[in-house]
Amino acid sequence: MKSLVCITGATGGLGKAFAVECASRGWDIFLTDLSESALSRLSASLSNTYGVNAIYRPCDLTDHVSRTELFEYMQVNELRFRSLINIAGLDYEGVFCDRTREQIRTILRLNIEANLEMTYAVLKIRDESQPFRIINVASLAAYYSMPVKAMYAASKRFLLNFSMALREEIRPIGGTVTALCPAGMPTTPDCIRSIDSQGFMGIVTTKNVGFVAARTIDHALKGHAVYIPGMLNRVLRFAGGLVPATVVAHMIGSRWNATHKRNEPLVSKTT
Amino acid sequence: MKANLFGKNIVITGATSGIGLAAAIELARHGAFVIGVGRSQSRCLEAENEIRKVCPQAKVSFLIADLSSLSQVRELAGNIRQCIGESGKKYLDVLVNNAGTVSSWYVTTGDGFELQFAVNHLAPFLLTHELLPLLKAAPAGRVITVSSGSHYRTKINWNDIMMRKRYNCLMAYKRTKLCNVLFCTEFNRKTGTGQGIRAYAVDPGLVNTDIGLKGTTGIVRWFWKKRSRGGVEPAKAAASIIHLACESPERLPADVYWKDCKPQKPSQYSQSEEYAQKLWEISEKMCGIQIV
Repeated sequence: MKSLVCITGATGGLGKAFAVECASRGWDIFLTDLSESALSRLSASLSNTYGVNAIYRPCDLTDHVSRTELFEYMQVNELRFRSLINIAGLDYEGVFCDRTREQIRTILRLNIEANLEMTYAVLKIRDESQPFRIINVASLAAYYSMPVKAMYAASKRFLLNFSMALREEIRPIGGTVTALCPAGMPTTPDCIRSIDSQGFMGIVTTKNVGFVAARTIDHALKGHAVYIPGMLNRVLRFAGGLVPATVVAHMIGSRWNATHKRNEPLVSKTT
Repeated sequence: MKANLFGKNIVITGATSGIGLAAAIELARHGAFVIGVGRSQSRCLEAENEIRKVCPQAKVSFLIADLSSLSQVRELAGNIRQCIGESGKKYLDVLVNNAGTVSSWYVTTGDGFELQFAVNHLAPFLLTHELLPLLKAAPAGRVITVSSGSHYRTKINWNDIMMRKRYNCLMAYKRTKLCNVLFCTEFNRKTGTGQGIRAYAVDPGLVNTDIGLKGTTGIVRWFWKKRSRGGVEPAKAAASIIHLACESPERLPADVYWKDCKPQKPSQYSQSEEYAQKLWEISEKMCGIQIV
């Protein structure tokens, strides 16, 4: 069997787009996500349509036992990988003090821990005959401190920072790491509603997932460190970098407060 | 009640609103047993009540299926076979592929296809394939697919059929309507005129329905709200469907494209044997249809 492209979060909006893009390029793929039925359906369809091998294995990436089983499956079946696309990630939007301890742990486990463990494990079983490509889905949020999305933005900054460092470490073996930093994408009905509610700015900063997946892979094949889809987003990112970080954080927080007209204090009184 | 379709059974997708509902009402008034298909239980119930209000003696049944999922389309075909069997018939007279959708953004279905492509083209393709034995068994089976005048001046980019990389809502929609005509062209070429079965593409014109409001946001939604006001009522648009469903078996017309109950010349691209065959082969692969 040819070496595989591993995709986590493969049945989500962006995940499907990457899976389709890789299959359309004739690459064999290995898909993982929570739902076995969604994985089975997607991989059968991609196999039929593009004539590639599409293997799948469900895994709860927040659970280290489930992750271990996934790695064992890969080893037992002697799978070899040419690429890893880390897409799995989530956010519980809202002020930090309103979160539960479980939610705090889950964001860290999925957005950071799972990403690191997948990268570690798959690098060990890479196909050494070609450059190993890693794509980490971060976010434009990685560049800013974002009130109300504090943990999410911080976890994406972690990924961006780590990606650039790892990129240097695996350069000698011909490997590359590309951090994808998109703005909002129309992946779920909630996301689409949120984009719609942003009016004009929502429309001009949003890119379709098919476009993002295709262009990200193009950049990864060239070994680029970061890809921000959309010229306007790149310009806005540059402009945002000229403003002190605390000022940006304040602007984001005020904007959120204004939209939600919050009356109570953000931090609950101690009892 | 007009009795031209008495004893006939007709499946119609997207039968809970717009052209589909209007056609279902009219077909029921003509005496047909109408099997309507919709996505939501409550809307199917409302549609059934609507039909019975106009035509209290209507023979109508509704089946639920999300046509964006290939497995649900196959399951629907099974349910249709069962429904027809239970009504005491051994064949299906007419399949109306009417359901259609619009999406502002590129949305991937669970099967990995673009949503408009999946609903507007692949679902009719697969459903027709699954029901073909039942349609061929009828004295003069017919497959009527609702296409659009927007198929004119449209081409397919064979390197990116679903416009995955550079998605444009309107262009993608136009291409699915072109696929409808290409499908009919190839269907007729494959089945030939001798087998008593024929596929037709219907151009309903500009119709005042909610198609542009259900899966859309922003500009597209605003655009459709304005444009649909200039459209005809769904009942008028459904006329060609009724006309073709009522045609007698001895006089199944050869023309593939119909508007306002008259044949019309579709685009040259949509008549191309090469493109029609190419789309057919790709669609078979996508639907996992094994070619024996």
